[in-house]
Amino acid sequence: MAKSVLLVEDEPFIIEALSFLLTREGLNVSAFMDGDGCVEHIQKTNPDLIVLDMMLPNKSGMQILEELRAIEGFADLPVLMLTAKGQKKDRTAAEEAGVSLFMTKPFSNKEIIRNIHTLLSA
Amino acid sequence: MPRTLLGTRIRENRRSKKISQAALAKSAGISASYLNLIEHNRRGIGGKTLLALARVLEIDPRELTEGADQALIDRVNQSAASTPSINCETSRTEEFIARFPGFARLIGRQFEQSAAQGETLQAMSDQMNNDPFFSEAMHLMLSNITTIKSTAEILSDDQTLPDTLKGKFLNNLLDEANRLAQTAEDILQHFEPSPENNTQTSDNATAEALLEQHDFYIDDLEKNGTSAQVYMDTLSIPDEEQPETLKTLERYTEITKMLPIQAFLPIAQKLQFNPIALSQDLNIPLTLILKRLAHMPRADDIPRFGIMECDGSGAVIFRKKLPTLSLPRFSGACPLWPIYRSLSQPYQPIKAFINTPTGERFLTYSLAQYDEPNAIGMPARASAVMAFTPDYDMLLTKPQIASQPNLAVGLQCPVCPRDNCAARRSKYLLQ
Repeated sequence: MAKSVLLVEDEPFIIEALSFLLTREGLNVSAFMDGDGCVEHIQKTNPDLIVLDMMLPNKSGMQILEELRAIEGFADLPVLMLTAKGQKKDRTAAEEAGVSLFMTKPFSNKEIIRNIHTLLSA
Repeated sequence: MPRTLLGTRIRENRRSKKISQAALAKSAGISASYLNLIEHNRRGIGGKTLLALARVLEIDPRELTEGADQALIDRVNQSAASTPSINCETSRTEEFIARFPGFARLIGRQFEQSAAQGETLQAMSDQMNNDPFFSEAMHLMLSNITTIKSTAEILSDDQTLPDTLKGKFLNNLLDEANRLAQTAEDILQHFEPSPENNTQTSDNATAEALLEQHDFYIDDLEKNGTSAQVYMDTLSIPDEEQPETLKTLERYTEITKMLPIQAFLPIAQKLQFNPIALSQDLNIPLTLILKRLAHMPRADDIPRFGIMECDGSGAVIFRKKLPTLSLPRFSGACPLWPIYRSLSQPYQPIKAFINTPTGERFLTYSLAQYDEPNAIGMPARASAVMAFTPDYDMLLTKPQIASQPNLAVGLQCPVCPRDNCAARRSKYLLQ
């Protein structure tokens, strides 16, 4: 059965590009565009991996990650965080919050696909 | 003016006019040997001889007798001090000015220009670093670039794409390129000098810069009991900026007098830097506690506090920003900030978490009060203080943090992407 990836991202064109790329890789891809209700959506859909943008409307990716890690059963869910904020403090904060991998925008398609496969097979 | 330089000045003037010592002496009616002694600063002169020499040299006698302009001496010395590795002979500055007045003026002028350019650069750099618009615009540009890069890679790498998908991605590319162009245009417009966005410095910009330089904690004022005036006198503050700087420093020393750091810190640590508990324990007004917390030494076990103070109109009158929360200097911030709510309910402290659109979270304490007793017929003058910290886990336990309501706020409407905000007063510039 194909593994599922949830894209939590508010830029529709990034969602389209990533959806195309990951679907082509044989993954089931869905998207959620708002910080509000995101944690509940993750609990309901239980994806195999989340690609999480740091800056989202209404709730940041960091808060979503923190809340997620506090929920039983989601402590080890692979989360790849994407951000245009590539500062060291952001990376450190994400690592402390329990991110699986941190990538800065702009990324290369090959790199993100490789990282997603690595996280899914870990 | 020391006699030493008078002779030097006569000699340099004579040489610049290519007059021999003998010729000058003869024309001035003195002996060549006497002129030689004068020129080597071994004899003082005045009166008739000085006038005669000035007449022959065709210069105003005051040019010989008056010392170099003190301001010029200072500028040349400052110029020398700005590059200490060169080891300029500053003990001979006056002599240098006397011998080469033109070059000295040139050095002075260039030093002034260089200092002015340095200040302009610093102001521009400050604007770049602390401008929420710029930070937001950069973020948006990177997002635009990400979409363009990723979409272009798909189009370039996959030659088997169906035409419908290819057309869709090409359209996305065009839309995103247009958005990127618009963002770039907005940035240019933002930095274009115009009367609307002329960012002249506020009255207390110097004091603010001084405090920032010391991370809002000045040892001399804290531990050594130095008065604000004495401390300011040790600094090179331009005359016109001294009153405001002094006012700000006196405001700081008021805090240090009421709550000396040596006594305050252990109690603050014991009460986990909780401002309300500190206010109750010390029987000190909460606003003063909030101000004290914004002036603390930097240490890992002391939470970082920023502060914003505004008057009844919401205008910012004092601010300490933190690297993760920029504060407006001139205009109002997001109307949802608790500091503005506190103005509508003076003397009632408000404790609230705020979330910024960039994902930062802060614990805030706000309190408004009336500054003076209400005069008959005059409106009350209210002001408010809001202290905020990103280190809330040092003040509250995890359950306490989880139980606090979160307030989604922005910085200012033009840079806030939050949709459907009832408090929005101007459109988001980066849409």
